[in-house]
Amino acid sequence: MSLVALSELLGATVRDATGTVRGRVREIAVAPQDHPTRIAFLIVRTADGERALPPNALKAAGSSVRADTEASSWTRYTPSDGVLLLKRDLLDQQIIDVHGRKVVRVNDVELECTPVNSHLLLDVVAVDVGARGAIRRLSKGVVPSFTLRALLARIPPRVIPWQYVDLIETDPARRVKLKIAYKGLSQLHPADIADIVEDLPPAEREAVFETIDEEVAAETLEELDPDVQVSIVESLDKDRAADIVEEMDPDAAADLLGDLPEEQSGEILKEMEPEERQEVTQLLEFPEHTAAGRMTTEFIAIDETAVADDAIEALKKFEGSREALATIYLTGPGQRLVGAVPLVRIAISSPAVQLSTLSEPYVACAPDTPESEVAALFDKYNLITLAVVDEHGRIAGIITADDVISMLRRKD
Amino acid sequence: MTFLAVVGPGFITASVDNDAGGIATYSVAGAQFGYSLLWIMIPTTVALVVIQEMTSRMGAVTGKGLSDLIREEFGFRVTFFLMIGLVITNFGNIMAEFAGVASSLELFGISKYIVVPLAALFVWALVVHGTYSTVEKIFLSASLFYVCYVLSGILARPDWKAAALSTVTRPDSLGFRNYGYLSMMIGLVGTTIAPWMQFYLQASIVEKGITVRQYKASRLDVIIGCLFASIVAWFIIVACAATLHTIGKYNIETGADAAQALRPLAGEYAYILFAAGLFNASLFAASILPISTAYAVCEGLGLESGLDKRFDEAPAFYWLYTALIVLGAGVLLVPRFPLFRVMVLSQVVNGVLLPFVLIFMLLLINDRELMGEHVNSRGYNAIAWFTVGAMIALSIALLIAQARG
Repeated sequence: MSLVALSELLGATVRDATGTVRGRVREIAVAPQDHPTRIAFLIVRTADGERALPPNALKAAGSSVRADTEASSWTRYTPSDGVLLLKRDLLDQQIIDVHGRKVVRVNDVELECTPVNSHLLLDVVAVDVGARGAIRRLSKGVVPSFTLRALLARIPPRVIPWQYVDLIETDPARRVKLKIAYKGLSQLHPADIADIVEDLPPAEREAVFETIDEEVAAETLEELDPDVQVSIVESLDKDRAADIVEEMDPDAAADLLGDLPEEQSGEILKEMEPEERQEVTQLLEFPEHTAAGRMTTEFIAIDETAVADDAIEALKKFEGSREALATIYLTGPGQRLVGAVPLVRIAISSPAVQLSTLSEPYVACAPDTPESEVAALFDKYNLITLAVVDEHGRIAGIITADDVISMLRRKD
Repeated sequence: MTFLAVVGPGFITASVDNDAGGIATYSVAGAQFGYSLLWIMIPTTVALVVIQEMTSRMGAVTGKGLSDLIREEFGFRVTFFLMIGLVITNFGNIMAEFAGVASSLELFGISKYIVVPLAALFVWALVVHGTYSTVEKIFLSASLFYVCYVLSGILARPDWKAAALSTVTRPDSLGFRNYGYLSMMIGLVGTTIAPWMQFYLQASIVEKGITVRQYKASRLDVIIGCLFASIVAWFIIVACAATLHTIGKYNIETGADAAQALRPLAGEYAYILFAAGLFNASLFAASILPISTAYAVCEGLGLESGLDKRFDEAPAFYWLYTALIVLGAGVLLVPRFPLFRVMVLSQVVNGVLLPFVLIFMLLLINDRELMGEHVNSRGYNAIAWFTVGAMIALSIALLIAQARG
């Protein structure tokens, strides 16, 4: 299974079963009524007119195309209305969003090439709207293809998955419509929604956040760049913003509110439920780039005398993020942290076992520990969560590994 | 009444054609060669009408900008290099416009360090805060202000009979043997048709929402605009011919020079009108050129564009507009900036770009899939290809002349 770009295939030489060059690829066709993504045939310009070559007659498709049939058996191409021609109908066309606003143009189309029983299946997977497709097309035929591939691998892709592209509805101006529709979005992972949202113009972002479920919106927001987060929250009305922020991890919510102008964060806080508001306000007091600024206050801490069954009950009631569940923290007198039990150990022991017997040596840090040291601790002890304890040894919050990963990536 | 509804794009584009650079060229032509180059106004007017008409027809029929069409029909690579060329040449022109703003008000003793930043701020605020229709109204009023040159030409008391005769009679073939005359002639033609005009005209036709049904009226807008622009140009040549050429003062280089030289010859009013006209033209062009660039680049990349959009709806459009104005005005305030060299470079890029743009236009307008029944007729095509061929030959000749210094 490999990805091949439309611009690579266009103009590629086509060899027949004997290995003789017979022509070049001119167009690639999809027959949407037969299959929405599958390539129906390649139109090959040969010395003897244009031929339609189905992918199941192909052995290889890339910067050169090899067929496993004789050129004489290739059927003649006759234009028909029902087919979608990728170069004519898609490449360089304008992409508009659900509101009809211009978003970007199609720089390239990504196809997935799957070998099945000695022939190929080709499917459209995404349209490339980023620098990668642009550079590929600028340097095609100028830069050697292996150098180009190495270069392109360094450029982060910016694509719109094919299932969000709507070509069924014919537009007189041949524009490509996006159906970042509200139904489709809810089935996606929040991280994928975030990717799509990042590429959208502000108005469309706003529309997405107004329609998706609050919980999904909160998780999606967490996955976005801080700048984008801020611009989205600023564009939403305060009630809606507060509803979404409530659903966010308190640490992420605090980071976000910290980035907003004070007046706006104040208004959002005012609209929030008292409990969530308190958590977030506490976190807001810590400097952002320390352990305390990164920690969440939603975690499970139970008395050291409890048994495994109590821990399971606590898990059931827990409303915070799942990442925080990896470790159950044990507290002694005065809420002091005394132990940590990995969730796995609870899962494999009998319900009546006392938690303190399952406890492992725990790692903790002070609230003012710098981010870099937090990351070093995770690395050194292979942690999934890290407890943050105050000067009295009380547990104030925990940091989860996913936060550390995004923190490290943000620094790059 | 449809005419009043569609008037704008054609009139504005043709008027802005008489920008700081255009005024300088016409003034120099009048001062150096008197009435003897006036004959060229008729052929250039025809060329201008033919090309602008095709541009506006494409806009009305396809509902897309020129840059949109080039990207869709000729692909990314062509569009990319075209965009780069267009940004370079337009940037050079924007600088020239701000230089025109500065020099026209320096005549009245106002420092460029005050004028240029204020002018930049004014055109920036106008476009960023205005909608298409308010901006168009302001531009249209600015177009009417070109009447300054007509008045200034009348005040110069030209020999009307000689001027009229030189306009309609065949030129003396002796002139063509003179290198200076020939290069001035090429300069006059070259200043008439520039790539930015096609991008601006087509994009504004689209943004104004003119469709095939209103096209007839829109064509009138283009034709009247071109005629008006040519009349203004004619009067600039005449004003300088009647005064500077008559007394043998040939050595002027800019519009501001011309205004100053007019003062003792045609009187205070002619001088003020000429200088005010230069200020108006430069200021106006300093806004249109960056708009044209921003339209073209955003269309090519498929980003939202247009005067009716808010800044946050079309950020790329407005940022590009802002950057071009800030840089174009900014460099004028840099002491010892090689302004002249940058402008020459931009003229060279302009000359290289023009043939491509014109050929793309002809290919597009004859594309039946795109234009349907509105493709060029055979006769019109002959005129269009001849015009484009002549424009290309002359712009290559201009390039060669510039290369020779």
